[in-house]
Amino acid sequence: MAELGKAAGAELTYELGEDSDGCPVVRLRGELDMTTAPKLETALEPIVTTAPDRLVVDASELKFADSSAIALLVRWANMVRHVEIRQPPDLLQRVIVRMGLADRLDVRP
Amino acid sequence: MISEYAGPGMTDTAEPAGRWVLERPRSDAVSGLSEQARRPFRVALTVLVIGLAITAALTVVSSAVNRSNEKRLLVLHGRELGAVLAEALPSVQTPMASAAALADATAGNPQKFKRFIASYVGGPPRQFVGVSLWRLSGGRWSPVAEVGAPPLLRSTHKNVAALFDRAASNHKLTLAGLVRSGPHTLRLGYAFSTSTMSGSGGSYAAYGEGAIPANRRSRLESNQAFSELNYAIYLGRAPATQNLIVTSLKRLPIRGPHSTVRVPFGDTVLTLVVGPRQALAGSLPGRLPWIILGVGILLSLGAALMTLRLQRAVYENRRLYAEQRTIAHTLQHALLPETLPSIPGLSVSGRYQAGAENLEIGGDWYDLITLKDGCVLLVVGDVAGKGLPAATAMAALRFAIHAYAVQGDTPTVFLPKLSRLLSVTEDRLLATVLCAVVDVDAHEVTVTSAGHLPPLLSSSQGSTFIDTPPGLPVGVERDPSYTSTTVTTPRGATLLAFTDGLVERRGESIEVGLERLRAEVSPNHMPLDDLLGRVLEQLREGAFDDTAIAGIQWLS
Repeated sequence: MAELGKAAGAELTYELGEDSDGCPVVRLRGELDMTTAPKLETALEPIVTTAPDRLVVDASELKFADSSAIALLVRWANMVRHVEIRQPPDLLQRVIVRMGLADRLDVRP
Repeated sequence: MISEYAGPGMTDTAEPAGRWVLERPRSDAVSGLSEQARRPFRVALTVLVIGLAITAALTVVSSAVNRSNEKRLLVLHGRELGAVLAEALPSVQTPMASAAALADATAGNPQKFKRFIASYVGGPPRQFVGVSLWRLSGGRWSPVAEVGAPPLLRSTHKNVAALFDRAASNHKLTLAGLVRSGPHTLRLGYAFSTSTMSGSGGSYAAYGEGAIPANRRSRLESNQAFSELNYAIYLGRAPATQNLIVTSLKRLPIRGPHSTVRVPFGDTVLTLVVGPRQALAGSLPGRLPWIILGVGILLSLGAALMTLRLQRAVYENRRLYAEQRTIAHTLQHALLPETLPSIPGLSVSGRYQAGAENLEIGGDWYDLITLKDGCVLLVVGDVAGKGLPAATAMAALRFAIHAYAVQGDTPTVFLPKLSRLLSVTEDRLLATVLCAVVDVDAHEVTVTSAGHLPPLLSSSQGSTFIDTPPGLPVGVERDPSYTSTTVTTPRGATLLAFTDGLVERRGESIEVGLERLRAEVSPNHMPLDDLLGRVLEQLREGAFDDTAIAGIQWLS
């Protein structure tokens, strides 16, 4: 487990794993905002640039996500064929819908 | 810490509000800073003064402790020296008493007297330079025998008899005082008599003279006990020069701290005055106050300098922070419309508020563009992110929309084109944009959203969000497609478009924030400017993100 952006106030930890079919799973815990999103992106760059077919973002323990988080998810969605967001908190899911991104990001409640 | 930019409203306030707001924080900051600029010096000076005061107090206390310690030691040493002096009495009195007793017992036999006393007479360290035996016969005292130097008694004392009479009645060592011969020979005379005045076999008295050093000075050797003291020994109670027996000093009286001890000596007393030749407790306690003073001054200066540096750093940080804010705000406001166009039949207004403690420029904006055919385009947008990249993207989008709109493009036409200016993959930026085309006379609003929050339509009949299917935010993909929704507005309706900073809170669904806004606005009978002010005031409490809000209100 790695910690990101603890000093900046917002705190985000992530865990990397693999799904049963071998696709990468990143599990987020804490707050994904403009201070932590760039760090998470840098941390996951090696995985995203190998262009896996599918990337699973487990957002079940994400407490907060702002527009930077959305931008990051969209960017991943543009680079990876399929980005699946598992169990996002209600507030994140609503923002995704509000931003018209429901079709771009495969949200699995 | 929220500075507000009140966009120039088209209501009857003709005052160019933008300018006033821009200058207010700056003048506040400048007067506040010049006041603060003097603070580091004041704080450092306070530290210095406190440090010096503590140093002075410690110096005084340590000096006082040292002085009282020296005084105590001096008194102690004086007493010790007095005890030593008191021990000298028996060494003089015993031979004298023995000689007098021997004379009584032998009826004044001169030979026996001489034999007995000879061992006490001579140069130092013997007690006497000369001793004589005197007899009272027929009311007169006359010498019977002499050993050593002849007595100087008669040359000094006119009434020799009085001395021996006193000795005969005293039965203890009786001091004749200082006896002299010429200016240089000075001695101390003692008499002792054991007989009674009424004795049948005659009365005898022994009389001895002890040497006094030349000039009554005695040199102290450094290895001697009490070598750290200066002393003067006087005969009698008064420390007067004529009574001086011996001293270690060239000049008297002893100056500075001194201690006086009186020691019984025969029928009189010796007065001993002592003063320190050097610090009695050693040199360190004496130097300690000066060491404390020196070190204290150095530490105080060091602390003051350190404080000055730290305070200056704090001040400099504050100044830079204030400057940064000012720069960010100035730039932000420069990128926002300086004036909104005046539209007949409408009141229009827009405001921008920076988030609390926000240093960086944000990417929120609003705009109002006059179109052909009595229509107006209200735009509110938000570039995700902060800093110059967000601000420049915002400026590019704002001016592009302006150009496309003036050229005649509708939002569904120009919004897809905007994604050519911005790419989330390449620029790491995306933007949400809300466009509302307002047909003033037809009371119609056509809303198109690129992933933006819906605008709020408010009238006396209530408030509702104009929900339109949101298209993709700008920058997600090339040439996305957008759909519009047209609604008819009641008379006097108000349309508010805003960015998420107004409604978004950590740990709270955006729907809650939207509902809070709706509740705040309805029922709405307020002029647009007042409404914007109230909404910002009520909803922005505790908000950290920047907020742009713009609205139009039908005057009829």
